[in-house]
Amino acid sequence: MFKCILGLIKISEGGGEVLGNDIVTMGPDIRSEIGYMAEYDSLDPGLSAVDQVRYAGELLGMRPDQATQRAHEVLQYVGLQDQRYRKIESFSTGMKQATKLACAIVHDPQILFCDEPTNGLDTSARKFMLDTLRRTISDGGGTVIMTSHVMEDIQGVCDRVVMLSGGKVVIEGRIDELARQITREIEISVWGGASNLEQWLLVNGHKVRRMGRIMRVEHNGDQTITAILQAATETGAQVRVLKEYEPDLEDIFLLIMRKLGRSAKGSSDLKGRSDS
Amino acid sequence: MSENTEADNLGEARIEAAYGSGDGDEDISATVASAPQGQILEQVYRPWDGPLGPRWVRNYAIYRHHVYGIISGSGHRRYHPFVRLTLLVVILGSMTPILMLLLSSMISGDASGFLNRMWGVNRYNLWGNVLGYFPRNLCMWPLLTALVVGGLVSDDRRNGTSALYFSRPVSRLDYAFMKWLSAASVLAAVILLTYMLYYSAAVVFKGEGWSFIADTIPIFMGGLVAGLLLVITYTSIGIALSSISTSRFTASVSFLGLVLGSKIVAWLVELQFETTYVYLLSPYDCLAHLGQWLVGLPLNYDHSLTLSIVSLLAMNAAALSIFASRVSSLEVTRE
Repeated sequence: MFKCILGLIKISEGGGEVLGNDIVTMGPDIRSEIGYMAEYDSLDPGLSAVDQVRYAGELLGMRPDQATQRAHEVLQYVGLQDQRYRKIESFSTGMKQATKLACAIVHDPQILFCDEPTNGLDTSARKFMLDTLRRTISDGGGTVIMTSHVMEDIQGVCDRVVMLSGGKVVIEGRIDELARQITREIEISVWGGASNLEQWLLVNGHKVRRMGRIMRVEHNGDQTITAILQAATETGAQVRVLKEYEPDLEDIFLLIMRKLGRSAKGSSDLKGRSDS
Repeated sequence: MSENTEADNLGEARIEAAYGSGDGDEDISATVASAPQGQILEQVYRPWDGPLGPRWVRNYAIYRHHVYGIISGSGHRRYHPFVRLTLLVVILGSMTPILMLLLSSMISGDASGFLNRMWGVNRYNLWGNVLGYFPRNLCMWPLLTALVVGGLVSDDRRNGTSALYFSRPVSRLDYAFMKWLSAASVLAAVILLTYMLYYSAAVVFKGEGWSFIADTIPIFMGGLVAGLLLVITYTSIGIALSSISTSRFTASVSFLGLVLGSKIVAWLVELQFETTYVYLLSPYDCLAHLGQWLVGLPLNYDHSLTLSIVSLLAMNAAALSIFASRVSSLEVTRE
């Protein structure tokens, strides 16, 4: 998909525009105006971070002095101001990802394409990367288009989502609107007699999804809560937490997978599938 | 009174007078410097609205990145210090005839005549400055090419830096041409520049006039064209080998093996079967054959010059087509 958008391959049918540029005929114009952060290592290990980012700017047509100044600015932005003179070969995965991001935003692009930006990052580096992407949207005023198999990352950064399966769009829209279309549920945490409580609810016509001690019961109004409490009383189970469940992108994904007839327990199942 | 006397005896009054320990500062507390708590990294997104240069600016950036790296230690493509040292040795080695010409011009008598015959400008020496087998085409030019060209494309394939080029408005044609031109420039700077220096030095040191220049310039130009063909051929073969590998070592060794190996095999076949046709497989011998004709030397190959030219064209075409197809397969994304 990114190859099509970047104008790197000829599409067999259909068409499209990126920032008013035709993806078939105006590939170089598109690539001048967007930033692209590759999924895998695309850095010269023999260069320092500032030289790498400067060169990335020069490849866009920036003058060497402009590119150098801008390299310092964006490396400061991605948190590498103290490491910018270090060779990339000595960088950790998080620092390499940050350098790739700096290369992508060196010319302040209108659209930033990020291919799996949190790949291989630990918790703190992942949080920093997602925060930086969010800040790039809010402060930079641009758009970030990211691909990820981690739905939580997408939900944390993006407003809209497009899911593809077999090369076709299966869902597209604002995440919050899509989430509202999903059946509302009550989430309970049960200790002692969880199976009995589940059985009681099922017998009495409630739809229940159980994940160990956590159960989600389809929300059909106030009587659902009354039924849960009654079930707890009659089965002797302890309901320690009872709250309305907020569906997220992961639930949307699972719902789509069910509708497509695919077996998936989570978005991580997508990894390694070439057709998804 | 008695208390005062007692205090004086104990020295307390003197201590009070000297250090003022009891003059009301008991309740004062020290004020420790404090800094407001804040974040170490102040993340500020700075917009940029500068102009982006046209195609030639981008292409020149690629060229500069690869060529300047040989001279500059940082900021551009990194060449190992050994590579840079070898380049220096090759340059100095290829300039030794200039030193001999200088020596010849400084002394007189038979020695000067001998030096002039050995290193002065003539058809054999002009040919030899570019196409002589030892030491230039055995030790210097192939090694120079292998070291300069070896990692040009293979490094991009190994490090994934091809994405850095093709996700920007750099076309594959521009990428391939600028890489090729960068390598060819370095080779030309060493091979052709030292050749031109040699000819210029001969004119200057020996105080030659216009008639000498008029007589020798066609031969010089023949050698220059032969040198240019050598630069083109070696660059094309070297960069093709670099493009099919992810290791600069493999590419470099393959180039040395191809150029030197084909020559040795052809030589052994000639010794055994008294035929020079196998030299058509050797890039060096095809160049040497053509170079002999360009400079006006007697040809010492049995086979036709046309065959050497065709072979040379075929080698270049094959190398460039391999290079083009491998560049077209360099990846941007791993979808």
